[in-house]
Amino acid sequence: MPSPVVTGVSPKEGPPGTRVTIRGENLGTKQNDILGVEICGCDCTLSTEWKSPNKIIARSGPGKGRGQIVITTSSGGRGSCTVEFRGYFERIGPLKESAVWVEEASPIGPGPWSKGTTFHMEDPLGLSVEADDTKKLPEDDLQDLFPGCNGDLSSEQFSPGWFLLQHHQSTSFDDLRVGLAYLKRKVDGHKEGQLSFLKGNVSSVMEQLEVLEALQAAFQKDIDDFGNDKTGKIVDAIMKSKEEGRVLFDGVLKGKEKADRTRNALGVLQRFRFLFTLPAAIDRSMQRSDYDAIISDYSRANNLFGKTEVNLFKQVLAEVKLKVIEIKSVLKTKLHTMPTTLEAQKKIIRNLVQLEYEGDPGWEAINVHVRYINGQLNDCYKFHMANLEKLGSPDPKSKGKRDKNLEKQNSVTERVDCIEDLCDIISLLLPELWSLGQSYFSGDLYMKPDQNKLAEFKSNTLACISEMCRLVRTSVGQGKSPLVGWFPHCLQCLRAVASQLSQIPHDPLTALIHHFRMECVKSVLVNAAEQVKELAEKENWSQVHEPSYGLITQLPGQFKNVVETAVTTLKESALQKEAKEAELFDSDPLQKEAGHLVLGIFNNYIQVIDQLSANGEEEQMSFSVSQMGATTFRQNQTSLSWEEKLLSCICNVKYSEETVLPGLCTSATAAGLPPLEWVLREAVGALGGLRSRLEFMYIEAKSDPLVGTIEPSMYIGYFDWDEDLPPKSVRPYANEIIANLIGVHAQLERSCNWMKDSALTQIVETVTEEVSRLILCAARMSHEGAMQANLDIAALKYALARYTSENSQRFLAEALEAIPPLDNAKQKKVQELFENYKTRMHLQLYAFTQKR
Amino acid sequence: MSKKPAPQPALHKVIMVGDGGVGKSALTLQFMYDEFVEDYEPTKADSYRKKVILDGEEVQIDILDTAGQEDYAAIRDNYFRSGEGFLCVFSITDEESFQATQEFREQILRVKNDENIPFLLVGNKGDLDEKRKVTLNEAQSRAQQWGVPYVETSAKTRENVDKVFFDLMREIRSRKMEDNKISNGRGKDKSKRKKLKCTIL
Repeated sequence: MPSPVVTGVSPKEGPPGTRVTIRGENLGTKQNDILGVEICGCDCTLSTEWKSPNKIIARSGPGKGRGQIVITTSSGGRGSCTVEFRGYFERIGPLKESAVWVEEASPIGPGPWSKGTTFHMEDPLGLSVEADDTKKLPEDDLQDLFPGCNGDLSSEQFSPGWFLLQHHQSTSFDDLRVGLAYLKRKVDGHKEGQLSFLKGNVSSVMEQLEVLEALQAAFQKDIDDFGNDKTGKIVDAIMKSKEEGRVLFDGVLKGKEKADRTRNALGVLQRFRFLFTLPAAIDRSMQRSDYDAIISDYSRANNLFGKTEVNLFKQVLAEVKLKVIEIKSVLKTKLHTMPTTLEAQKKIIRNLVQLEYEGDPGWEAINVHVRYINGQLNDCYKFHMANLEKLGSPDPKSKGKRDKNLEKQNSVTERVDCIEDLCDIISLLLPELWSLGQSYFSGDLYMKPDQNKLAEFKSNTLACISEMCRLVRTSVGQGKSPLVGWFPHCLQCLRAVASQLSQIPHDPLTALIHHFRMECVKSVLVNAAEQVKELAEKENWSQVHEPSYGLITQLPGQFKNVVETAVTTLKESALQKEAKEAELFDSDPLQKEAGHLVLGIFNNYIQVIDQLSANGEEEQMSFSVSQMGATTFRQNQTSLSWEEKLLSCICNVKYSEETVLPGLCTSATAAGLPPLEWVLREAVGALGGLRSRLEFMYIEAKSDPLVGTIEPSMYIGYFDWDEDLPPKSVRPYANEIIANLIGVHAQLERSCNWMKDSALTQIVETVTEEVSRLILCAARMSHEGAMQANLDIAALKYALARYTSENSQRFLAEALEAIPPLDNAKQKKVQELFENYKTRMHLQLYAFTQKR
Repeated sequence: MSKKPAPQPALHKVIMVGDGGVGKSALTLQFMYDEFVEDYEPTKADSYRKKVILDGEEVQIDILDTAGQEDYAAIRDNYFRSGEGFLCVFSITDEESFQATQEFREQILRVKNDENIPFLLVGNKGDLDEKRKVTLNEAQSRAQQWGVPYVETSAKTRENVDKVFFDLMREIRSRKMEDNKISNGRGKDKSKRKKLKCTIL
């Protein structure tokens, strides 16, 4: 026979003991053929039941997890398996889903245990019970039909009608008759039953009778031997043994009593010993600072001996009490010693309360804290102030002065350190005080708090903060604060404190922060103004071309940087509004003040430019006439001439006026400074004034030497308007004027294009005025002279046409009028020479004719 | 398994579902061992596996015979997950069991998340035609609605018993080949194959 193969398992999983039907092929030829059954590695051969070569049944063993089912038969050997069985251990809790059906109804009632069901099982009529419940009459109807009766066979009120209607309503009459016959047979059987029973069991009945007789004989014998009273002897024996027992136990009980007494005595002794050694024990605990032990010992002693009348005990107790008082004072000193941790303090307070300390240790601790904080603050302040003194600037006024030596620097850092330390102290100690106070008033300190002191506590806390604020204020110093530049940092410290104390009322601090913010704004702005002042020294005159403004220097950029840095600093510190902080510029005067500070910066800037533009005025004095108009004049130190610097200043002014200042004002307002329109207006106005002044200065500087040279140049070589020499060409003085103007034009074109027109027009005006004056002054003029003058004026008119204002035209017209009239031939000659001149000067004049 | 040198015959996992007492176990035992079990003993979960010749090719069929009783409804999800094809059995003499097929179908679709899972609607107890409560029409229209074949069987007479199992195995096999084709055509990566499968469906 081939080896067995298991191909089916039912069920495929289950807890140990599951009845598993195993199906497959060649599973043995008979029960004895099976040598082994393994389910999940557990031998189940014993529980195996062979059904057929295709089917055996076994119970699973305690195997866990998936496993094979292996059958070994003597006919086929060890088999294989294509399916798996999974064993698992079932643990059924209240939440576990399980297939176990739990009977929740009471087992008494309808069920195999109740009486009623017997009828269903065995009908007295021997008829089958009607299965269909729906046809049954309802209980209520039966109750109506047979009042006071029921269908219970064992009941006194049994009613046959009820029974039949209930159980056999639809049974046919014939069936009922058969049932009746059956019942009769049964009853008859019962009646005959007794006799037949006896008949059937004669031997055993006889046996019983014999046994009964034997019993009676034995009993009779006992009466004969011992008489009627068979128990008297036993009673005697019991009484005797009772006596004996009592005697035995008396000793034991006495012993026990004695032991109890001894124990009591020992206990008392122990107690006494405890009391007498208590002072020493207290001392020992004191050394270890184990106050809890002392307190528990003390309360125990009080409980045991508090009401004693014995003098000795009283004496010892008094001694102990003295010790306790001593401890109290020690604890009190400890309570008053600072610094300490909150936990330690709370423990001391608890100990004091337990020792029935008269007073309010919690409140005392609070006061100690308050005093300690104030002391620390003042100490810190004094320490730093002493350092400040040592640094050797005893005169506080000197601190206001601007000097950058090391000493000064040290004094500033000392002050900042002081403020920082004050902040540290308050942010470290005040929360502790507050939490101590909180525990006190919430009753966490093992005692009833005095709520009346709440206000006092609050005011004390506030006082601490106020003290700190006062010290910070004084540390800043009087007058012009030396802490310029450190304000943002100090503000940061204060804000950190404020956030630390956010749970605690800290109005003075808020006010202080507000003050600091204001100071910060002031100091930063003032500082910026100072820096702007210094810009004058930093000017290096390196020029940059800015479209539509000309050549500007680094100055406006540097100025912009300084102000922007200040604004950014402010934005990051003072202007940044933290939670709970009030609006900084909430009133008009404050806004005005800030505006003035900004204006101060701007004014300084204007001054700087002014100063820079004035720089070269001394040199101008040495500006030699012979080199008039020469823009190539160079100063030794810088590569720029004063005029070029002046022009750059003008450009700077215009650039600042139109670009830098409006930009700065916008960014400042955006950063949180109040609106600065009026400041801008004022500053721009001042700049405008400065610009026109500088422009005037430039024109002045240009036209003065120019004009001054006309006369000498006109009469150079002893020229006289009255000479008879016919004019050959335009005279040098006119050419010189034009050449000089071309020079000015070139300079302006290069560095200050926008100013070119107005400046040249003005210069031309003065020049024409001078020319006209000179010609008017000519005493006499020959025809040739008149020709020459006509030619010169025509040349000037032609060359300077673009920059000729009405005034200039008028001056030239006046000059022409003064010249004697010319005849046609001469006029023609002049015209000829003029055309000639035009052609020759074409290139020189190209600059003037160029389109704008 | 496929890595073993000797090629293991393909394994098709069939799950018997249907209301209690409709004859799932009877069909299974008839198919597996040619025996008809008269006495009814509710199944918990039985597992059978044997080799059969499907269209000349040796394959293995794994049959999971599940419990029809509602008591076990909660653990069905777990069983269904492993199935590749389903025989949804009802008794033509029991209207209620026919109604229950609807729930089984829904549960399978929910668990497998696949409208085209190999599935046969099986009306068992065809030998008890005189007690028929579910008409052929009713059953056929439901099968049509689901897009699955309908077969009437008798576990007692073995009528159509082999047919339903073999038909289902054929469907599973063609389905697997289809999947393989898709995966071979588009990529060999196993995870990718799974992804593609999802997008196709």
